Amino acid sequence: MTVSASKPVILAVDDTPENLDVVKGILATDYMVKAAINGQMALKIVEKAPPDLILLDIMMPGISGYEVCEQLKANPDTRDIPVIFLTAMEQTTDEAQGFELGAADYITKPVNPPILKARVRTHLALKQSMDELQSAYAIIKKHSDRMEQELNVGHDIQMSMLPLEFPAFPERSEFSLHATLKPAREVGGDFYDFFFVDDDHLCLVVGDVSGKGVPAALFMAVSKTMIKSQATDDPSPASIITRVNDDLSADNPASMFVTLFIAIVNTRTGDFRFTNAGHNPPYILRGDKLECLDQRHGPIIGAVEGVAFREDSAALGLADTLLIFTDGVTEAMSPAEQLYSEARLEALLANAKDMPEALTGRIIDDVENYAAGAEQADDITILAYRVESQSDASEVQTLQLSAAADLKEIERVNSEFEEFALARNVPPGPVQKVCIVLDELLNNIISYGFDDDESHEISVDVAVYPDHLLVEVSDDGIPFNPFDRVGPDITLSLEEREIGGLGVLLVTEMMDDYHYQRHKNKNSVTMTLKLQD
Amino acid sequence: MEIKTTETGDINVIEVAGHLDTNTSPDAESAINTLIDAGAQKVLINFAALEYISSAGLRVLLATAKKLKASGGDLKICSLNDTVQEVFDISGFSSILTVSNDQDEALASF
Repeated sequence: MTVSASKPVILAVDDTPENLDVVKGILATDYMVKAAINGQMALKIVEKAPPDLILLDIMMPGISGYEVCEQLKANPDTRDIPVIFLTAMEQTTDEAQGFELGAADYITKPVNPPILKARVRTHLALKQSMDELQSAYAIIKKHSDRMEQELNVGHDIQMSMLPLEFPAFPERSEFSLHATLKPAREVGGDFYDFFFVDDDHLCLVVGDVSGKGVPAALFMAVSKTMIKSQATDDPSPASIITRVNDDLSADNPASMFVTLFIAIVNTRTGDFRFTNAGHNPPYILRGDKLECLDQRHGPIIGAVEGVAFREDSAALGLADTLLIFTDGVTEAMSPAEQLYSEARLEALLANAKDMPEALTGRIIDDVENYAAGAEQADDITILAYRVESQSDASEVQTLQLSAAADLKEIERVNSEFEEFALARNVPPGPVQKVCIVLDELLNNIISYGFDDDESHEISVDVAVYPDHLLVEVSDDGIPFNPFDRVGPDITLSLEEREIGGLGVLLVTEMMDDYHYQRHKNKNSVTMTLKLQD
Repeated sequence: MEIKTTETGDINVIEVAGHLDTNTSPDAESAINTLIDAGAQKVLINFAALEYISSAGLRVLLATAKKLKASGGDLKICSLNDTVQEVFDISGFSSILTVSNDQDEALASF
C-alpha cells in the first residue's frame, strides 16, 4: 500500500507506445506513471515494486492482458492491486471475462481523458479505503489476540490459586470435602478455598469476583490471600469479612468487587458460623430435606468501606451436606437461552445422598447436559462439605458462668468450675490448670479491662469433651489482646526478676491452644486443653 | 486456703493448703510478713497440700525470697504437686528458688 505524500503510482501496460503516451499525457500531472510494453515486463515491474493501480491492455503479443490479470490475482501480494482493462474491443463478452478475472473496471479506447481520470481516482480511493479497513482489522485482530492471551493468563493465575488435591485432609475422617471450578472462556473470577484455622475449625470460602482476565484474577488472588491471613487469628466470619472488606475497599481503583460466602465449621460437632456477602445462598442437604441458607449479612465486598458484616450460625447433623456454589451453576444457559435455575438445582439435590465428589460431579454433568454445547458464560464453582461422624452431643457437657467485675468473683467461678469438672471425671491436673488460667485472665480483665464505672459482666463458658476442655472467657471491656504482650525474661536472677507478664505466660504455656478475638465490642479468649488418657 | 505455721529448730515451716491465687495471696503474704517481722530468717514453705498457684502467689514467693535474702535469711520450698511444679518450671521459679521434694530434704538443706 502506498498511502504517502508522494504521488500514487500507475502502471500502464500496452504494446502500442503511442497509447502509452496518451495515458501518460492524461495522468502524469496527478500520478507517477510507469509504462510496460508487454505482459512479461508488466509482471516484472509489479514484482519489483507494486503500483497502486494498473491500466492493462488486453490484446498484446506473448502474454495477454487476461493472463497478466489472472497471475496478479493469483498472487496474495498483488491480488489487491486494482486492474482497469483498456481495450479497443467493445464486446460485452470481453468485459464479462475481465470482471470474472477480478478486474476493477473497463475503459474503451480511444480513451476519453475525463473518464480515465475519474475512474482512476475512484478506484484509487476505493483501494485506499480497502487498505484502511484491512489495517483496522489487523489492529483489531492484534488486540483480540492479546485479550485472548490475557484471559488465558487470568485463568492460569486463577487455577494456580486453588487447592486442587483431593482428598484435601486424608487424616480427617469426621468429614468429607470436595470442590470444583469449571472456568468459562470469557468472564470469570470464581474461587474457592478451605483451610483449618485450628484443630477443629475448618474455614470454607466460595467467592465470585466481578470482571475477567488478569485484573479479576489478581483481585481474586488478593481477596483469597486476605481472607486466609485474617482467618488465622479470628474465628468469626463476620469479623473476618468486615476487615477484608475494609482493606479491599480502601485501595480499589478499578472498582472491582467480590461476592463471598464464608463458613467456619466445627468439624467435631458440625456447628458452623457463616457470613454471606452478596453471594447466592447455599443449601444444606439433610437427608430428604433441602434447606436454603438465605440469610444475608452485608453487601458485596470491595465496594463500600466501613460496613459491619453480620453472621449467623447453623448446625450440620450426621450425613448432612453443606453445598456452596456460584451463580455460574444456576445461570448457565441452554441453547434457547433459558437459565438452568434454582428450581433445576433443587430438583437434583432433592434426596441426593451422594458423597461430595460424586455430588459436585453430578451437578457439573447436569449443567453441561442442560447447556448442550451452548457457550459457558460464567465460571461454575461448587464446594460440598459432608459430616461423616460426629461427637455425640451427650458426650459434650457445658457450663456457663458469669461474673461481675469484682476480684472476689474469681473464687466463686473457680469453685463452680472445679465442682462441675471433677463431677464429670476431669482429672485434677487439668482442673487445676484451668483454675490458674481463669485466675490470671479474670484478674487482668477485672483490674485493667474497664475504664468506666458502669457494671460489667464477664462470661466464662466451659465445654467438657471426652478428650479436651474448651474454655471461653469474654468481656465487654476495652479492646485488649493479652497475647500481644512480650513475655517476661525468665532467665533473670532472683534480684532482677519482676512479676509482670507471668500470668499470660502461664496461660500460653499451659493451654494447648488459645485465640483472642475482638468481636461485636467484646474481647474473647478461647482456649483448648487436651485431656490425656 | 489454709495456712499453718510451725517451728523446727530455727526454721519456720509454713504449710499452705488449697489455692494460692488472686484472692488468697494477700492473706498468705501478710501471714508470711508477720513471721519475718517477728525475726524469722529461715523459712520453709511446704506446698504438700497446695492444689495450685497462680502468678499472684508467685509474686508473694518472689517478694518473700527477695526480703529474706536482703536480711541474710533464706526461703526454701518443698513438696510441689505436678501442676505447681509445672508453674514453677514455666515461670523459671524452679531455678531461682530452692525447691526440695519433701520436708525432710528441705530442712536438711538449710
